[in-house]
Amino acid sequence: MSEPSLRPWYPWFTFLAFVLGLLVTTVFFKDQFREWKKWQNAYIKQEMAKATTAEQREAAAHIPIEIKQIVLPGLGRVDRCITCHVAVEDPSYAGLKQPLAYHVNHSQHPFEKFGCTVCHQGQGLATTKEAAHGNVPHWDRPMLPLNFLEASCAKCHTADELADAPKLAQGQAAFDKFGCIGCHKLQGRGGNVGPELDAVGARRSPEWLARHFKNPSKLVPGSAMPHFQMSDDEIAALTLYMLGQTGEHLSDYYVSMKTIPSADSGRRLFQERGCIGCHSVAKKGGVIGPALDDVSKRRTGKWIVDHFKDPQSVSPGSVMPKFGFTEQEIRALTAFLVSLSDPNVVGFLKVPSELTSIERGHTVFTKYGCAGCHNQDGNGGIPNPNAKTAEQVPSLKYVAEGYTKDELKKFIMNGQREIAMKDPSRPPPPLYMPAWKTRIPEGELDDLVDYLISLMPKDEKTSF
Amino acid sequence: MFQNLFKSIAANRVIRSIFRVGVPRSNLQRAQAAISSFLLHVQPAKVHKNVLKFRTTLGLGLITLYLFIILVVTGILLMFYYVPSTEHAYQDMKDLEFVVTAGLVLRNMHRWSAHLMVIFVILHLCRVFYTGAYKAPREFNWVIGVGLFLVTLGLSFTGYLLPWDQLAFWAVTVGTSIAGYAPVVGNKIKYMLLGGNIVGQSALLRFYVLHVIVLPSIAFFMISVHLFRVRKDGGLARPEEPTALQKEHILSQLPQSKTYGLMELARGTTPAVGIRQEDEVFTWPHLIFREMLLFLLVSSVVLLLAIFWNAPLEEAANAIHPPNPAKAPWYFLGLQELVAYSAFWGGVVVPTLVVTALVALPYIDRKRHGVGVWFSKERKVAITLFSICLIAAISLTVIGSLFRGPNWAFQLPWKTVPSEEFHP
Amino acid sequence: MKEPLNHRLGRREFLELTLGWCAAFFALSASAMAAVRFMIPNVLYEPDRRFKALKPEDYPEGATFIPETRVFLLRKGNSFRAVSAVCTHLGCTVNQSPDRKGFHCPCHGSQFDENASVVGGPAPHGLPWLLVAQSPDGRIVIDASQQVKADKYLVI
Repeated sequence: MSEPSLRPWYPWFTFLAFVLGLLVTTVFFKDQFREWKKWQNAYIKQEMAKATTAEQREAAAHIPIEIKQIVLPGLGRVDRCITCHVAVEDPSYAGLKQPLAYHVNHSQHPFEKFGCTVCHQGQGLATTKEAAHGNVPHWDRPMLPLNFLEASCAKCHTADELADAPKLAQGQAAFDKFGCIGCHKLQGRGGNVGPELDAVGARRSPEWLARHFKNPSKLVPGSAMPHFQMSDDEIAALTLYMLGQTGEHLSDYYVSMKTIPSADSGRRLFQERGCIGCHSVAKKGGVIGPALDDVSKRRTGKWIVDHFKDPQSVSPGSVMPKFGFTEQEIRALTAFLVSLSDPNVVGFLKVPSELTSIERGHTVFTKYGCAGCHNQDGNGGIPNPNAKTAEQVPSLKYVAEGYTKDELKKFIMNGQREIAMKDPSRPPPPLYMPAWKTRIPEGELDDLVDYLISLMPKDEKTSF
Repeated sequence: MFQNLFKSIAANRVIRSIFRVGVPRSNLQRAQAAISSFLLHVQPAKVHKNVLKFRTTLGLGLITLYLFIILVVTGILLMFYYVPSTEHAYQDMKDLEFVVTAGLVLRNMHRWSAHLMVIFVILHLCRVFYTGAYKAPREFNWVIGVGLFLVTLGLSFTGYLLPWDQLAFWAVTVGTSIAGYAPVVGNKIKYMLLGGNIVGQSALLRFYVLHVIVLPSIAFFMISVHLFRVRKDGGLARPEEPTALQKEHILSQLPQSKTYGLMELARGTTPAVGIRQEDEVFTWPHLIFREMLLFLLVSSVVLLLAIFWNAPLEEAANAIHPPNPAKAPWYFLGLQELVAYSAFWGGVVVPTLVVTALVALPYIDRKRHGVGVWFSKERKVAITLFSICLIAAISLTVIGSLFRGPNWAFQLPWKTVPSEEFHP
Repeated sequence: MKEPLNHRLGRREFLELTLGWCAAFFALSASAMAAVRFMIPNVLYEPDRRFKALKPEDYPEGATFIPETRVFLLRKGNSFRAVSAVCTHLGCTVNQSPDRKGFHCPCHGSQFDENASVVGGPAPHGLPWLLVAQSPDGRIVIDASQQVKADKYLVI
């Protein structure tokens, strides 16, 4: 019986077995040399160098090398940034080179409650620099450049609440100035000509937004959005403001955290807790404790805060009880007490009824974003290709000539869907007058019409 | 000296209790080695010589089986980290990539083996066709093979959804929509498959259960039957069927001490009946060693792919922002291309016809020539017809995967447009 | 060509086979090791064993129960130490005794004195004392993964 020999196959067997062994070994090596280990080793080295006592050296030697993460169920995030940025909480690393640097000023947003990516964006789950910073394919939220970082404040705060977010305030101002809300909906308010902006910051990159504001129809062919002549600063501000509109839903915990203590809430608390029983303000109230009208002249803010925490600690022998206010409540009450010494505080707010209807009408004009199409103060000049009116949205300067108050009101209420075309063979003009019937209430409409009528230049006014 | 060492190890009582025969030293022991081992007894003690020839089968069926085994092993391991919930699934993929030791490699292995398995099932099917190996007595095994082809597609498709990224979400949305085109029952099937009207939590859970329990069990059972039938139908198809007269002659030549009672129950050319003794070789070691080599080769290739190429993972699934174009998995792209022309013809008629034709093939084409011969000249018509269908299917798939851009418009693969510019 | 069945392997074939089998065995066992390593988690989604509590001044004199990590933080002037509140018997959470000196377990009546040693009940040994440290930003950190002796204090 003849049998084929197996011998020629032996070298193949040896070769393939070695290849497989080598490949399996490669898997181990790839895993062993992960990028983050380098930084944790560097951190341990620095800690060892810093250590002065044997005990500190012992502690440094026992720092585990491991992936560190902050789990944030309330935000739906897991952030592993601190795997490389190990020293973010250690002030002795202030000013050092990244990733081993201290994160200044994090006490208001402690890492274990907020993590990192809620402000900085990027891919918190990743453990390599490139993927974590997020400039990789298939990750749509790379890290925000530092000059756009304030955009993240807008996830929880409005610009009015924050004194330390000037760029966000500029952004909001630009948004109002160009009347964006006339065509776009944001947080349930605004027009329906353009797309809703609630989650635009989650979809668009800063570069896209800036290019878009520079020339909308160049980036999105056929876009109806007018070509506003924005300055570079305005483009940057508006880009930042849009980046903040991520449409993220925050859980109740974070919503409750977000209250910024204001003098107003302090006043409410002051009344609810019956402080007036012992103290007096403007000659009203009890006499057991001192009058509080000029307390801020006598005491510093820190003293007042400490006093609320524990009256005995700064004023031994005080009869004031320890109320157990929360941190937020203490800050609100302090803000209120400080505001008492400000002479402007009483006359600060102007009551709306003291304004003229024309002034109120101007507010209405801004509020509904009329400027988006009719330009500021109704000056006109916004292009509307193929519109019979010189391919522009008409100016509102002379509405008083063509309409009575009632006609104008009716026109605003019903809008005008079909805009007369200059050349019927070309596509219809993209911009049109929406019907404001359900959106502008009657009172505001009256003010708006008064305002529009008032736009007529005085010297040219003719009477019919 | 080493030989003595091996011998004494092999003679150890414990080893003997496990491997009854030890290293075979005689033909009898070689046969016993194959018969007495659970894993080896799937194969006969002796096989025809041409089984050892690579060109007989190109090893395609065995490669498919190995890929299935790799898929089962890696799949079980992946299950330890995977939670089939819309909240966790995508994060688990990221964990596998960034945190779990060897997690990414295992996922890559699973992914590439799955794609390879689809390819090799198709290649295996082509091989069986082109060598006429589906003809009597192997008709039913061909039908089981077609069933396994469909189960493989099902396994691959249900697994496609599990990473819960944009690719998965929209591929399954598109894929199940194709199913919805079937008349009368289409939408009901889609509704049942997804457990709702859209791809959501219940769809993910259903696909998961199908992927890890239902379909693998079916596949395992069918593969067992498939292998069993290969043996009972007389081993691999080969030419030179001996005539009845020759058979008689062979039988009379056989020594009387061998019994064939049970063997003769199997129809057709059983291993012992059809083969002249000088054409037989022992399974151990000749076939086993070659099979082992192939296993080393297949696992090396899969591991190599897995180490150097990562399985795709796009953004987390988002029902509001579909990619443009949204494509089904590549093996359904031919179908999607057809659906783009006509939903009814492409989505219903053609696939039904293809499956029916495949199942009916061995019962229609009953001429017994060209068995075991590649591209036999006697089967010109059948081979031409099959090849045309095959080329058409491949062309449609290639067009669908490479030449279709946004809005399913024709585009050249090297002139793609960044997708962001397409949804204002 | 007829091959003798009981052939002796030549030196070359023997080397090839031995090396091949060694490599194959290595690949197999390394894969098995990789699978085992794969099963050991590298991150946990359970609460951190190193718990970052508030600042020292936020804790009153005496014992404060910290529910997140099931620990009693004990303050005595400027000294801090922490004891696990997980009963060593069967894992119930122990309470502070009414006299505020020791701890007792409500499940099976184990009792511990002020040094957390067993004084009654079925508990096999005392409650473990845990490492208390201060983070660089001045907050108290209790490390439930590191046990210390009862007389080890963090002194601020």
